[in-house]
Amino acid sequence: MSRPMRYFYHFCRLLLGGVYLYAGVVKSADVVVFARDVANYQLLPYAWNYLTAATLPYVETVAALLLLCNRKVRPAALVLTSLTLVFMVALTTVLARGLDIDCGCFNPGQGHTSAGVALLRDAFLLIPAFVTLRLSGRMSKP
Amino acid sequence: MIPGIRTMVIEAGVIFAIGVVLGLSFNAQLVLDAFAGRLSSAVAPSSGGEAVQSSTLEFQAFPLPVVLEEVRELMAEGSLAVDARATEVYGEGHLPKAFAFPLGEYDQVLPEFLEKVSKESTLILYCSGFGCPDSFDLGERLLAEGYLDVRVYEGGFPEWRDAGLPVEEGAP
Repeated sequence: MSRPMRYFYHFCRLLLGGVYLYAGVVKSADVVVFARDVANYQLLPYAWNYLTAATLPYVETVAALLLLCNRKVRPAALVLTSLTLVFMVALTTVLARGLDIDCGCFNPGQGHTSAGVALLRDAFLLIPAFVTLRLSGRMSKP
Repeated sequence: MIPGIRTMVIEAGVIFAIGVVLGLSFNAQLVLDAFAGRLSSAVAPSSGGEAVQSSTLEFQAFPLPVVLEEVRELMAEGSLAVDARATEVYGEGHLPKAFAFPLGEYDQVLPEFLEKVSKESTLILYCSGFGCPDSFDLGERLLAEGYLDVRVYEGGFPEWRDAGLPVEEGAP
């Protein structure tokens, strides 16, 4: 792999890890408020909103830390790419149902990021996610 | 499946599982309470105390959001609409048979509300539409008072009125 590609790969890995580490840490700091944000999507039964809010930030944090530490990069990138795709599906249903809710992507209970903006942001995030997923396999080869 | 991909998927599953286990270990009580229906507002805003996060305390429940179509169905089934706006605004137009409960007059209205409305009732709280926090805040307080089924209609009066649904006028 050429040197510019290596730099680009590491940039994407660190960007993806940094964004998800921030998202995971701030959401895990206030699980109850994040559960309310999850409930606003109106996709899950009541108690499952709490289960999702209690576990999702930790999945994001673990995968992000692995990316930042350059360990188990491919599976960690797969986890975060899958999560990003799931978020995009959920946001699309919000748009389709005409709900005006905060996406709950980062600071729970603060501010208001519309589903459309969040969807665009997730689409942008897919670029480093796919780059990391794709190039990490080549990085491990001599 | 190609061996390399299978390994990657298995490792991704392990990472996911580690995250879930970590999350559950930090929030076990909250999740157990949620599934057992034991969530309450022991640290609700009306208590005047600061919200304290501790595994030894009960966790604060939140009102469930509902959309217009659900509100229509719930109203048809006899659920009670609760208007969290100011009394003057209520008089200019409100949902049919809505209970006037201005958030700013919480302490004055609460005794009458407790007397007239059973805690098993399904409550649909609303105010002036998206961006209006009063219905949600009132919902948290009513959960703290022991009401079991509190929902917030975020579209509020503007959406209801604009949908051409029946509106009543007059003071409470």
